[in-house]
Amino acid sequence: MINSILLVDDEDLFHLVFEDACSILDITLSLEALNSSDEADEKFKQWFPENPADERPECVFVDLNIIGSSYDGIELIRKINFEYGNGCVIGIISSSDDNQEIEKAKSAGAQFWIIKSDDIEPRLEEFRKDYEGYLNRTAPFKIYK
Amino acid sequence: MIEVTKHTRDILLGVAKKRKVYVEGNFLKLLKAPDGDTEFEEYLRLCKEKDSTARRKRLQVTKQVQQQNKELVDKQKETDELMIELQQALESAKESEEEANQLRQEAEKGMGKALEDLELMQKKTQFELISTIVKVALYVIIGVGVLTTAMYGLALISGTDTQIIGSTWSNMFGILLTNAFSIVGTIMGVKYATEKE
Repeated sequence: MINSILLVDDEDLFHLVFEDACSILDITLSLEALNSSDEADEKFKQWFPENPADERPECVFVDLNIIGSSYDGIELIRKINFEYGNGCVIGIISSSDDNQEIEKAKSAGAQFWIIKSDDIEPRLEEFRKDYEGYLNRTAPFKIYK
Repeated sequence: MIEVTKHTRDILLGVAKKRKVYVEGNFLKLLKAPDGDTEFEEYLRLCKEKDSTARRKRLQVTKQVQQQNKELVDKQKETDELMIELQQALESAKESEEEANQLRQEAEKGMGKALEDLELMQKKTQFELISTIVKVALYVIIGVGVLTTAMYGLALISGTDTQIIGSTWSNMFGILLTNAFSIVGTIMGVKYATEKE
């Protein structure tokens, strides 16, 4: 089970879907959801590097296009990885499957790409199985379709 | 995992029995029944089942709402596109109307010019007709005058009685002169009136 998850997505309804899916699948006990990349940026500024282990999430799911944010999910991942210490499992959760965006996410340090759909549970289930690899940094980048 | 004390366990079981209120949420997953306490194990299993069922229901409903939202957004997009098309069609219709108005104005100008030309032609025709009438009238007058004068001269030369022809010539000449001046006066009047209009 993942200790804590942070979801960054502008859609409140998806927060509920994600929370319920995670609970049903026993993926995590602690889930925090934020609506914008700016909020997440503020949090990460606090978490890294002063207090790297206590409050920071173990795994971060970021939406690609976060409406109402100063920058998109890929830029947030880049900042987390290259500016705030790269201390968590991080990837994209988006309805897009644009290859160019996927390549950009990979180069920004994303470890996975989950495609959002009505049936998110099987993808999360599969992600849970691969999670140990992401945590150990041994699993390659994967797209969950 | 949190192992609950006997006191807490009894309270939880009592509340569940009497009020049908069960522990729910992720905190439930942290609770552990004491070893061998099958009743509390069963209670926790029931709590988890209820929580899971409620979450599944909520997930289903949330997904439905999400789907409906998506459809609404798509429809809104379609409506916006239709509105843009409608706006473009309205603008196009407005431009066509302006073009039609311009053409109508040009046609009206053309018609006005044609009417002016027609009027001019009618006047020209009228003047030509009047001119012809005047010429014919003058020829007649001159002809009658010449003829009467010739007859009167012949009567004088031949020495025949000139009383009747003389008075006839005199009357005729007077009438002809009067008519000639009358015609010239009428023509001048008509010409003057037409020029004034």
